[in-house]
Amino acid sequence: MNPSSLGLAFAFARRELRGGLTGFRVFLACLALGVATIAAIGTVRASIEAGLRAEGAALLGGDAQMGFTYRAASDEERAWIEQSADKVSEIYDFRSMAVVTRDGITERGLTQVKSVDSAYPLVGDVVLDPPMSLDAALSGKDGLPGAIMQPILMDRLGLATGDTFKLGSQNFRLMAALIHEPDSAGAGFALGPRTLVATTDLSDSALLAAGTLYSTKYRLDLPVGADLDAISTDAAARFETSGMRWRDSRNGAPGVAEFVDRLGAFLVLVGLSGLAVGGVGVSAAIRAYLARKTTVIAILRSLGAARRTILLTYFLQIGALSLVGIAMGLVLGAALPLILGPFLQSALPIPTVFAIYPIPLAEAALYGVLTALIFTLWPLSRTEDVRAAALFRDALETARIVPALPYLLGTMALLAILLGAAGWFSGSYQLTLWAAVGIMAALVTLAFAASGIRKLARSVLPAARKRPALRWALNAISSPKEATSSVVLSLGLGLSVLSAVGQIDGNLRNAIARDLPDVAPSYFFVDIQKTQIDGFLDRLEQDPKVSGTQTAPMLRGLVTRINDQPAQEVAGDHWVVRGDRGITYAAALPDTTKILEGAWWPEDYTGPPQISFAAEEATELGLGLGDTLTVNILGRDITGTITSLRDVDFSTAGMGFVMVMNEAALAGAPHSFIATVYAAPEAEAQILRDLSNAYPNITAIRVRDAIARVSGLLSNLADATSYGASVMLVTGFLVLIGAAAATQGARITEAAILKTLGATRRRILTSFALRAALTGAAAGIVSLAAGIAGAWAVTHFVLDTGFAVIWSNAIAIIVGGILATLLANLAFSARALSSRPARILRARE
Amino acid sequence: MTTVLSLKDARLSLDGNAGRIEILRGITLDVQKGETLGLVGPSGSGKSSLLMLMGGLEAATGGQIQALGQNLSDMNEDALAHFRRDHMGVVFQSFHLIPTMTALENVATPLELAGHKDAFDRAMTELVNVGLEDRANHFPSQLSGGEQQRVALARAVAPRPDILLADEPTGNLDQTNGSHIMDLLFELRDRHGATLVLVTHSNELAARCDRVVRLRDGQIDTTLAEAVA
Repeated sequence: MNPSSLGLAFAFARRELRGGLTGFRVFLACLALGVATIAAIGTVRASIEAGLRAEGAALLGGDAQMGFTYRAASDEERAWIEQSADKVSEIYDFRSMAVVTRDGITERGLTQVKSVDSAYPLVGDVVLDPPMSLDAALSGKDGLPGAIMQPILMDRLGLATGDTFKLGSQNFRLMAALIHEPDSAGAGFALGPRTLVATTDLSDSALLAAGTLYSTKYRLDLPVGADLDAISTDAAARFETSGMRWRDSRNGAPGVAEFVDRLGAFLVLVGLSGLAVGGVGVSAAIRAYLARKTTVIAILRSLGAARRTILLTYFLQIGALSLVGIAMGLVLGAALPLILGPFLQSALPIPTVFAIYPIPLAEAALYGVLTALIFTLWPLSRTEDVRAAALFRDALETARIVPALPYLLGTMALLAILLGAAGWFSGSYQLTLWAAVGIMAALVTLAFAASGIRKLARSVLPAARKRPALRWALNAISSPKEATSSVVLSLGLGLSVLSAVGQIDGNLRNAIARDLPDVAPSYFFVDIQKTQIDGFLDRLEQDPKVSGTQTAPMLRGLVTRINDQPAQEVAGDHWVVRGDRGITYAAALPDTTKILEGAWWPEDYTGPPQISFAAEEATELGLGLGDTLTVNILGRDITGTITSLRDVDFSTAGMGFVMVMNEAALAGAPHSFIATVYAAPEAEAQILRDLSNAYPNITAIRVRDAIARVSGLLSNLADATSYGASVMLVTGFLVLIGAAAATQGARITEAAILKTLGATRRRILTSFALRAALTGAAAGIVSLAAGIAGAWAVTHFVLDTGFAVIWSNAIAIIVGGILATLLANLAFSARALSSRPARILRARE
Repeated sequence: MTTVLSLKDARLSLDGNAGRIEILRGITLDVQKGETLGLVGPSGSGKSSLLMLMGGLEAATGGQIQALGQNLSDMNEDALAHFRRDHMGVVFQSFHLIPTMTALENVATPLELAGHKDAFDRAMTELVNVGLEDRANHFPSQLSGGEQQRVALARAVAPRPDILLADEPTGNLDQTNGSHIMDLLFELRDRHGATLVLVTHSNELAARCDRVVRLRDGQIDTTLAEAVA
């Protein structure tokens, strides 16, 4: 580069910037908002990750944990644990019913019981209300063992401290409310609130009988300086095939960490989409700025300035402004989480360390720089097309649309760097690529739609000939000078995402909350003992309000090997091999079971174990007839051969097992039964009362409650996505304001001419409002179509549920489009309406 | 003779950065029906401002302005717009066509505003009159300066106004286009019989007017007015 050319450009740029930031406010706001969003999301994610790292041992409840499904550690395992750790705490975790009888009325609430030993908690403190030690609380009062309970369950059951309740057949005295449970974040999803008791007090409760569904966790307090790597490798080598699950403080709450990581990556991509919308505004602002500078550029050209000097002049100006915008965004993005930290900390159930983290800020700055370059290079290249002759004509308006090849290649290279960076930072190139393809497809679709809207407006013009206000509006929409493209592009992306999220969320909620209860059972009963099953069924069969009952033996097992290879190596991260799964057995083919391939075993079969596997999951795992599976049940490996594939529908919330084995293979193992009961809603309460009174150890899960809980979780996810899309929409609105501001001059002149020709202010305002409303409605309709198409694809191909348009959301999207455009445009119409025509028109002479 | 425009001690002052500027300092002037009046004078003498006052495009800060017997000073913005729609046509130096509309749509606009059902047919006739029928569907940016001014002329005369106000209509045109536009302006005025008030710097053009009023420093230069009379 010629140094004198750079020096000159620098001098020119400095002089031009003396003119202030007029016309660049939207440019700065778009860039700052986009960068701030990404910086803030990144900072919150980093704060949570730092919190999880710092509190790993507290979240886990120890330096390491070994977990087993419905069995305690074997003697060998126990010996190893005690040899490795300084201190050990044993925890049982299971669902049960807390039962309260008061004045002859019995209340029942599903609860997730944690029973502990005296060593619990190894790390952190249990906080109780009224304040007391855990030991004191669990030792109870007046001859009854103590229990503590989360306040939400106390409220539901009308319990106060000092009251009594039952778990199974054991009475407890509620000693305190459980305010803080140090290891709760690592516990995962629970259907019921927590009750904490001492394990020793459960011996008479019949809740931990063989075959009931519980899990055990052994928390290890390791010697200072213990090598976690070596210990975990040793544990894996010794016990992994026995169904043991290992966790340690390096990742105390892996579920939370993974969720935060994924949600964070997803939200950053949403933020990046927001930055893309902002890019539309950035690009428009620069085009408008350069159009105003055409004369200056032409004068510089006529005075002999080289094209490169002119390009550099404006590149330096816009570069400096971009850096200001990015810096503003970084300050905002870093400051917001710090300011909101105390509120966020109290709202989040996980530890956070709010601070300034350089990596997310660098990530946001990098995205800002790349986006600014991508969206400015193209319009900047057009300065090279301005000739001195532009002093006599609007040359920029006739300049070519596609820039010269070097700029085109430059833009593409920058785009590739941006995608590479986004992929690297998010940790998922696939997700980034899909997001990028989505954003680009949406932008291209919206650009075509904008062009289509202009053509449509022109084609319907003749029909509006007798309605001047409408004709002017259509004229303006169809004109290449009006901001139709900006409106559709800027609003479109945000509205499309909101529309898609709304439609997916609505359809999913409908499937769960509206359609599912029609086909789902009223209750799941678990932990029914073999001796109880006949009585249990008798009660239900006598009830005319019960329309159906299904029972099945229930065991839980971990698929450890597939065709004698480690299961995770063959099936990766498929949900069937990720944790322990429900397994049942049956002699005869149940009436409702449909065999798709292979054959069911004979009723009296006693040979080597056979397995009937769910057909869809078998296809996903690449399994077929003749393949063998090794399942660890209660620490014992059972290897069976797949001899049939069944159709299993998990969408009805009915009883669905991935694996069924022949009776002889499992009947000897200790197990309980589960049952699903389909009953009229008015009979549900009585059924629960009768069965719980007769069999205190069984646990009833009301399906409606479970559905509500799952719906709530899904709606939180949809909310998080909607917040991201809202930022996109705010950016879009800023772009709209920019577009409206850019066309304000044209509007003022147009209003002045129309007034000269005899148009009243009301008529002019009607025309302005009509053009805004029509463009906004068009943007809304296009976005809705895009959103519905996306939502249909997701519900059809990913969620595998039916799809129906959620009209409330659809109407909201269109009304939103209209309102946003109306607001942005009418705000800039006041001057046009109030100005005197002579002042405006003569100023242009 | 019927007076169509009557100005009594009309004044216009504007607040600028350098303080209040007296642009028109008491103009008293009558324009008769069918008359062609030329307003001449040096730059900054107030010619265009006077024309704007006559068209109600600018509000007088003093005095009285009557058009067709109605007091323009009493009318609000919308009443003035209605009055122009029904009685006036204005031609500007910079044409002031609406850039988003074609030539035909520009000409049809005042007719539509006046509620003419045949607005587009009449607009087409006017475009034929100015020789631009083959440019009817072109946008202003696709027309030359001379063509744009012909469209502006067609637009001004299309509603058959009683008063035609032209502010240096040839100021942005070369000599050939300029004289063509002037011929057209006078021809259209003759055809429709409107009263024409014309601001111009051209002596040649002023000579074609029935009467010429010279302005100097916001006042009528009586010496020349007497000489012409």
